[in-house]
Amino acid sequence: MRYLRLLPFLGLLALVPVSASDEATQPKESRVHHIPYKLTIPKHIVVRGKINGKGPFNLVLDTGAPALILATNAAKKAGVEPTKRGWATLERFEIEGGLKMPKTPARIETPFQLEGMNGMGLAGMEIHGLLGYQAVAKFRMEIDFTKDKMVWTEIDNYEPVAPKGLGGKGGSGAGGLEMMGSMMKLMGGFLGRRATPEVTLRGFHGMSLVDAGDHPKVEAVLQDGPAAKAGLQAGDVVKKINGRTVTDTGDVLRLARSVAAGRPVKFTIERNNNEQEITVTTGEGI
Amino acid sequence: MKRFLMTFCLLALVCFTGSTDTRAAAEKAVTVPFELLKSGHMAVEVKVNGKGPYLLIFDTGAPMSLLTNRLAKDAKLSAGKNASAFPGLGRIGETKIDLLEVGEQKAEGINAIIMDHPTVEALGRALGKKLDGIVGFPFFARFKMTLDYQKQTMTLVPSGYKPSDSMNAMTNLMLAGPSKKTLAPAAQWGLLASKEVGDEEDGVDVKSVVPGSAAEAAGLKRGDRLLTLDGRWTDSLADLYEAASFVQPGSTVPIRIKRGDKELTLKVTPKKGL
Repeated sequence: MRYLRLLPFLGLLALVPVSASDEATQPKESRVHHIPYKLTIPKHIVVRGKINGKGPFNLVLDTGAPALILATNAAKKAGVEPTKRGWATLERFEIEGGLKMPKTPARIETPFQLEGMNGMGLAGMEIHGLLGYQAVAKFRMEIDFTKDKMVWTEIDNYEPVAPKGLGGKGGSGAGGLEMMGSMMKLMGGFLGRRATPEVTLRGFHGMSLVDAGDHPKVEAVLQDGPAAKAGLQAGDVVKKINGRTVTDTGDVLRLARSVAAGRPVKFTIERNNNEQEITVTTGEGI
Repeated sequence: MKRFLMTFCLLALVCFTGSTDTRAAAEKAVTVPFELLKSGHMAVEVKVNGKGPYLLIFDTGAPMSLLTNRLAKDAKLSAGKNASAFPGLGRIGETKIDLLEVGEQKAEGINAIIMDHPTVEALGRALGKKLDGIVGFPFFARFKMTLDYQKQTMTLVPSGYKPSDSMNAMTNLMLAGPSKKTLAPAAQWGLLASKEVGDEEDGVDVKSVVPGSAAEAAGLKRGDRLLTLDGRWTDSLADLYEAASFVQPGSTVPIRIKRGDKELTLKVTPKKGL
């Protein structure tokens, strides 16, 4: 029974076959695109796309999927009507980073993996689809996890072959794993988990910092900003944040990262050899 | 349901302890051929602890690697003493591969799950291939990889990236309760943005620009519509904060704005601070 806990993870393997396909798209002139991505909590590569100007939708870059697979709710939101065979051609499809891919064929369905992941809020964001072979094969994709963008180079005169299905009706080949989707959704509801997490935006201080010696120093405070209003000044040495010792700017950013706008942060500073406490009530902004 | 949840939580506490470390990878670029299956999947030849080669699916959408029981038995991999059988999935267990070779590239100490994934089985049957699992994130994340479908090759160069254990992350997540996330810029920009309820257009409104800030120095003005920040869409405040979380202080990045009828690009160098 120990491996019961592994079951939800199986749903994370975005390995999806399709049953049938329509047409492939035309290749374009050679171009280089810098595609921003982020990683989900379990480490899927996610890029964002807009369809017919709607979105953005979160798509897992998935060589384990044969084509662009778009969840039915996302397709509906983008006003995409699938054919009887479950395919559609996206008139306008744009990937974040400025890559336009008009007339992209897409399979409209919600694989059980997505249902399960979203139901359990496992990804840390709602996942709307999978970006698979047929949509990405015309790019040479450079993926480096030490960089925050991928480099996709369009390949000239290359036409991806339409993927072949597994045959048979549906042809999901999931062998009973489909039930995982609804099971995880049920469990997710029970645990109070949601696909899209509740987001807190960090509060603005209006102070720049510089690393100096044992503790960071206030380099400048912005005019009328929260730090200035609280009385912080350029040259103040920041020794503690909320009672915890800080040795560099990174420490300050880490300790303040979960403080929402309007919340207080207690700074222990040294000025003219005097230690004092100054509480900054953070504001909005970046 | 309650008992099930209890079991789940208790089981979740018995965490995976396996951490990954990078050793022995070939330092230079290694080009590995892959077979493009008719289903559109990539298949690569893999050696496990010197045994094989086996044919596995290379899947950028897989947060973990999977091996069939057949492969595990052949390569004499232990599924651990806690392995148990599940109907349709075979024996499920976790293992650590001492040496995983994908073509000429190799990695040591790769965690993997042993199980018979029905989709892998079904693909293998439909294509008449013997497929023995999936190569996932714990392997490929260590490399800068270039995937070329036209040449049917992947080039792997060690990047120094150390993937964290995704299963640990998931287990912790399960215990964390309701989904919450904090978005924090990595640098100080000096701008305040807003988005009206019902505003479905691209971008956010710049409500104010702080005097003396990086945003002011770049020429950003109140009333501008901020469309992208370093190539990332800023269609909501959450988007804006997330985009700013990727930009390190001192780096100069483009922001795309709409001012009146004109779109223009400004260069901003956000400061170290908050």
